[in-house]
Amino acid sequence: MTLRLAGPAGDAAVAAPAARPRPRWSTYLIFLPAALLAVLAIVGPYITPYDPTRVVGGAAIAPNATYWFGTDSAGMDVFSRTIAAARVDVLIATVVTLGATLGGILIGMFAGMGESHGGLRGLIARGTSRVLDLADAVPLIVIAMVIVAMFGATELSLSIVLTIVLIPGPARLTRAETLRVRGEAYLDAARIGGMRESKLSLRHVLPNAAIPAVENMSVVFGIAVAIAAALGFLGVGIAPPTPEWGSMVSRGTSDLISGRWWSAVFPAVFLGAAIVAVAVAGGAAVRRLRN
Amino acid sequence: MSALGRQRWWIMRTLALPVHILVFALLAFFLVRLMPGDPVLNFLSDGAASPEDYARVEAALGLDGTLLEQFGRYLVGLAQFDMGNSITSGRPVVDELMLRFPITLQLTVVGLVVTIAAAFAGSYVAAVAPTSIIGRGIRVYARTAGAIPDFVLGVVSIFLFYVLLRIAPPPVGLVGAVETLPEPVTGFSLIDAALVGDWHITGSILAHLALPVLVLVLGYSPLIMKILIISLDEAVDAPSTRFRISTGASRGTVIASIMRRAAPPAVVICGMLFGGLLGGSIVLDQLFSLGGVGQFAVASINANDFPVLQGFLVLTAAVSLVVYLLVDVVNMTLDPRRRPGMVVA
Repeated sequence: MTLRLAGPAGDAAVAAPAARPRPRWSTYLIFLPAALLAVLAIVGPYITPYDPTRVVGGAAIAPNATYWFGTDSAGMDVFSRTIAAARVDVLIATVVTLGATLGGILIGMFAGMGESHGGLRGLIARGTSRVLDLADAVPLIVIAMVIVAMFGATELSLSIVLTIVLIPGPARLTRAETLRVRGEAYLDAARIGGMRESKLSLRHVLPNAAIPAVENMSVVFGIAVAIAAALGFLGVGIAPPTPEWGSMVSRGTSDLISGRWWSAVFPAVFLGAAIVAVAVAGGAAVRRLRN
Repeated sequence: MSALGRQRWWIMRTLALPVHILVFALLAFFLVRLMPGDPVLNFLSDGAASPEDYARVEAALGLDGTLLEQFGRYLVGLAQFDMGNSITSGRPVVDELMLRFPITLQLTVVGLVVTIAAAFAGSYVAAVAPTSIIGRGIRVYARTAGAIPDFVLGVVSIFLFYVLLRIAPPPVGLVGAVETLPEPVTGFSLIDAALVGDWHITGSILAHLALPVLVLVLGYSPLIMKILIISLDEAVDAPSTRFRISTGASRGTVIASIMRRAAPPAVVICGMLFGGLLGGSIVLDQLFSLGGVGQFAVASINANDFPVLQGFLVLTAAVSLVVYLLVDVVNMTLDPRRRPGMVVA
């Protein structure tokens, strides 16, 4: 990293950022898996060869030309269900990512701006920061599991619970960045210019302090998919026969142990691939924006 | 500064622990009361419940009397480690959980130790041989694999090592079908088996733990490696390293110096990892049917056994927070700048 600044390439990059060559089309390939996932989430339920919620053949048929991924112990087509399942988890995770990031940014900014205040506002802000730290220690899956078990699992309730559980991550990132931004000279400049404190927060602190949380969105998305599916796996998520990767894996586990691997392994691999695809695309997007 | 004043940082931090646990106890208390519908009817889901049944379940759930009375009883019980009785078994929730918690904790602790060892070894290879195939592979893995759910890795590893290669024992329970677990003394089956000198069972438990531990390592080592590789890269490039090489220090000395300078951020992550690993162990408990607290919680969810779920939440939180406190105190001992109220000049 230090070498790049000293080298001729570094000088050129500093001198003429506008002359950076257009990236070749192949560099966009890194976004392809995530794009495929998005397409699958939208059209998945419409392109399945069989009805994903109906018994279509004998139970536990091995993968063949008719049933590409075989059938599960109830006789439902694993390929159709795996394809159709992309929708539920991706939809929930998208809502949760947007909600948790937005909520986290607002809470983090409030905590960061209010911490050195006196009185009630400072007290609440400091308390919020402590709670954010605590949320780090206790396993999210346990909190989510107990809440969802009591409130029931619909797409809406899962989205709300996961949003609340995942808010601390972006909130902590925003709080730390707010503490840094608060010392910047442009805030003093704006204050001297007569800007009110509330407008200052909105115009100058928010756009700057929100950056780490926005960059972190793909991570939140991955965790949201993982927890939504894990709840399905534990039997507290979206209930079968609605196709959902976690509950499919859960129902396929006993088959897997007796050697009929396809009903658990295919949804598990799709779920893992979906999470890696978004993580890779998110990482690439962040690197691209930073350069 | 008085002697007490100098010790203030860890005393205050320790005194905060009960308050932190109370936050989760409050959460558990209000969750049952905020539930949509009537928790009592929810439990008596078969419909025709007599008023006596209703009153009995209401009392068992601690839902009789005014909210203030309920809350008072709940807090008094909590102070005496009494979280009520399980509705399904009638036994105290704390006893039921304590019977199973060591099984989950055992997997967590073994997983934590192996994960940390593997992460340091992996990061070392990635930092020392950054262009080798293995080094590159580790870097890619550390960057991308951090979020893959435990049960996905679990299913894939059962498929590979049990179904295909046949080198793992059946992924059901801690011992084979004809073997029995040792009488619980500590509750940690590995220690219990070793205490009575039954090395056959000890080996069997280790063999049955191998896959879940592998899954925890695959799932959680990337979190450490991501941080450690970055700081190792910086430490390798630092003037201190060049100085040591130029003075002709041995390779071992140079590497020890690099590790010592790069380790602190990774140590902080290692401490925070416990909560994640505990969650992972709870999920894997269900996948591998280990009989720990995860399987019990899932069964309690299916039976609408709310007192058990409350206890599960509070106990898991308490264990995590105690470990978090220990890590915090260790970190603050090593690095006084992390102590609260310290002003860094």
